[in-house]
Amino acid sequence: MAFHDGFLSEMIGRAAVVDAGGRRQTVGRVCDFVVQKPGDTFPHVDAVVIKSRSGKRLAPIATVVEFDDDGRVVLTVAPTLDAPPDDEALYLVEDLFDKQIVDVDGRKVVRINDIEVARTSGALRVVAADIGMGGIVSRLGGGSIARGLLARIPRTLIAWDNVAPLHDLNPTQIQLSVADNRLARLHPSDLAEIIGDLSAQDAARVIGSLDDETAADALEHLDAETQRSIIDDIGAERAADIIEEMDSDDAADLLGELSEEQQERLLAEMNAETADDLRELVAYDDETAGGMMTTDYLWIYPHRTVAATMAKIRELAPETEFIYYLYVTDQSEKLLGVLSLRTLLLASPDATIHTIMDSDIVSLHTDTPAEEVASTIARYDLLACPVVDASGTLLGIVTVDDAIDAIIPDRVKKQLPRFTSRRQRERLELV
Amino acid sequence: MIKRYWRTALALFAILGPGFVTASAGNDVGGIATYSAAGAKFGYIVLWTLVPLTVSLIVVQEMAGRMGAVTGQGLAGLIRENFGVRITFVTMVLLFFINTGITATEFAGIAASAEIFHLNRFIVVPLATVVVFLLVLRLSNKLVERTFVILSLIYLSYIVSGVLAKPDWNAVARGTLIPTWSSEAGFLVTVVGLIGTTISPYMQFFLQSAVVEKGSRAKDLFNVRADIVVGSILGIAIAGFMIIANAATIHQSAIVNHKPPLDIDTAQAVDFARALEPLAGHFAATLFGLGILNAGLFTATVLPLATAFIICEAFGLEAAVDNRWSQAPVFYSLFAGGLVLGAGLVLLLPANGLFQFTFYAQVLQGAVLPLELILMLIVINRKRVMGTHVNGRAANLIGWGTAAIIGTLAIVYVAQSIAGAFGGS
Repeated sequence: MAFHDGFLSEMIGRAAVVDAGGRRQTVGRVCDFVVQKPGDTFPHVDAVVIKSRSGKRLAPIATVVEFDDDGRVVLTVAPTLDAPPDDEALYLVEDLFDKQIVDVDGRKVVRINDIEVARTSGALRVVAADIGMGGIVSRLGGGSIARGLLARIPRTLIAWDNVAPLHDLNPTQIQLSVADNRLARLHPSDLAEIIGDLSAQDAARVIGSLDDETAADALEHLDAETQRSIIDDIGAERAADIIEEMDSDDAADLLGELSEEQQERLLAEMNAETADDLRELVAYDDETAGGMMTTDYLWIYPHRTVAATMAKIRELAPETEFIYYLYVTDQSEKLLGVLSLRTLLLASPDATIHTIMDSDIVSLHTDTPAEEVASTIARYDLLACPVVDASGTLLGIVTVDDAIDAIIPDRVKKQLPRFTSRRQRERLELV
Repeated sequence: MIKRYWRTALALFAILGPGFVTASAGNDVGGIATYSAAGAKFGYIVLWTLVPLTVSLIVVQEMAGRMGAVTGQGLAGLIRENFGVRITFVTMVLLFFINTGITATEFAGIAASAEIFHLNRFIVVPLATVVVFLLVLRLSNKLVERTFVILSLIYLSYIVSGVLAKPDWNAVARGTLIPTWSSEAGFLVTVVGLIGTTISPYMQFFLQSAVVEKGSRAKDLFNVRADIVVGSILGIAIAGFMIIANAATIHQSAIVNHKPPLDIDTAQAVDFARALEPLAGHFAATLFGLGILNAGLFTATVLPLATAFIICEAFGLEAAVDNRWSQAPVFYSLFAGGLVLGAGLVLLLPANGLFQFTFYAQVLQGAVLPLELILMLIVINRKRVMGTHVNGRAANLIGWGTAAIIGTLAIVYVAQSIAGAFGGS
């Protein structure tokens, strides 16, 4: 039997032997496996760790030949290398067995019970993590009874490219490159749910490992308490970068939960314009239009042409939260009219904005209560509603999703079905 | 916004941290039974055991709290990561059976209160099981917990009754400060039972998870510790007054009337209601019945749920009350299994054996406690896990000392029982 496909739990503890003049001599027992580049999608197993009487020795994978008839591992030469220190390589058993990981596809935090390896194109690779009872029973051992049981229990496996460790796998490597981060593949609300399940320490570590934009999206979906504890843990500079990427209304809500001293420290780290906007928003009560509004909207002067406006939208849309309505203002930012993207699309490119805008505006004041905001948006079938001050100056807009959020109880939110595409979890059943 | 409303509404309970809640859950039916029996049978001379027990309880709980705050993991998770599948499996099997046994003692308390109110326990116990099910599945966990903790104020009646019984305060002081070892039969088993009910193995799992759940970190250790110290001392103070109230009434009257002291092996729960007579007079039995009913319902609500959570944590399985049954089958099976087994056991036992079952379950808890302490002490001394927060010398001394002393007592007790069994035959 060649040394290939199988589970690590079935290899650990086996005797390792070398050929010595036709006789097989035991040099120790298999106790672990070393991976040098854990960042790869399906990382290579580079060596087998043999526990001998004189300590742990490293047998490079090339020197491992096969299992003999007695189930022993046959090596071409006796291992002489010392095993590398724990912080210079990833030990599959020591560092990963029993540890928590995120199953990216199944969107859950689970524990690794066993690891499957397979020989593909000449190299032994880590291919899957066992997270089910099959792995537990296999690890429990216990002879024939366990083997009998094992035959009945299907292995619950997740492919290794769906495994996202909570701890950095290899401390000597600088942070796994952000593009590689498997957690970033999750929908922000799913990511937030996973983060909500983690301990405060792990939550901060996971947020810290994401790019600013993904982190901001995830943070927006977390409850205030978790947000606060994460901001505490990741440091003002990084926190400010992330908050800058958040929608301004969510960012303001978050800041509103912090102490004034902490607010100032974070605002000082941001660019001046964002900081000023946020300072204004923080001042409003959460449960009024002022507290719910975002300052991230599109505005335009009335004398522009439709063509020029379209060009401007193309330029700004990628950076803007809400683009379906355009707000028409004069030079002093007084709100003159509103325009939907649909109207704009249907208008002749030469038309000027003030001829096609709707100047019969439904608007809110900063102190309009949340329920009234929601009912206004519902009554007029709006996607968003502008917020103005007493002189009619446009301050921000409240979007329909924030209006809904403000009036649904948290309890109901949790029970809402999720609309993200749910890929069927991969279940490889081995018999 | 809804959240903010709750926060205001619950601000009243802000003082109730994990340590306090754990201490309240610790004064369960088994606690009432053991402290009452100890006081009724031996009088004030057992009081001193509470002094070293307080020290041990604080040290052990502080270790659990520190592990939670530093690692962000529950005790079951840490055991899994540090000892692998086999030891975890054995620990979890043991934990499940012991906790199910303790759940049974809570239902035994509920059954005893049913007898006091002249209700049929074959109706009351199944009814209580349904109530617990609904409490857990329908209501906010925290709210249920806090309601029970508030209701636990009923224990304060032991303090009042203990004082009203006009105990011999000199004897109380002597009993508390001067360690005396009685050669009377049953003293050793009572001490092991006192240890088991005061430092129940499940309490460490419970506390550590609660600290993690609360989001406490290493920088919050001061608050975590303060909460544990206050909770432990308060819990043990109530235990002390339970002993005093029983000693001043039941034990005293036996001495005055030249009757033999209470026999643990034939006593009934309702006998201990007399300790509340100085306060409640004719209503002593009613008060006592309400007390054990509350204690029983509280811990029966918390324990099977906590056990299911702990086991799922150890094996990385889905565990949450808002999941559907099909999403977390193991979790729900463990929860329902523990609850129904616990309640069922009580219906199988003879009515006059409920107290003994409850008492000896505490002795069993005392006997397995050293095993849990050893696991905790190994983990908390690992730099890789705890960083700079590994145990100091004093904590190690008290921790290992506690494990060694309890281990020795348990072994002596088992040896004596075996010798007794052979001697008797």
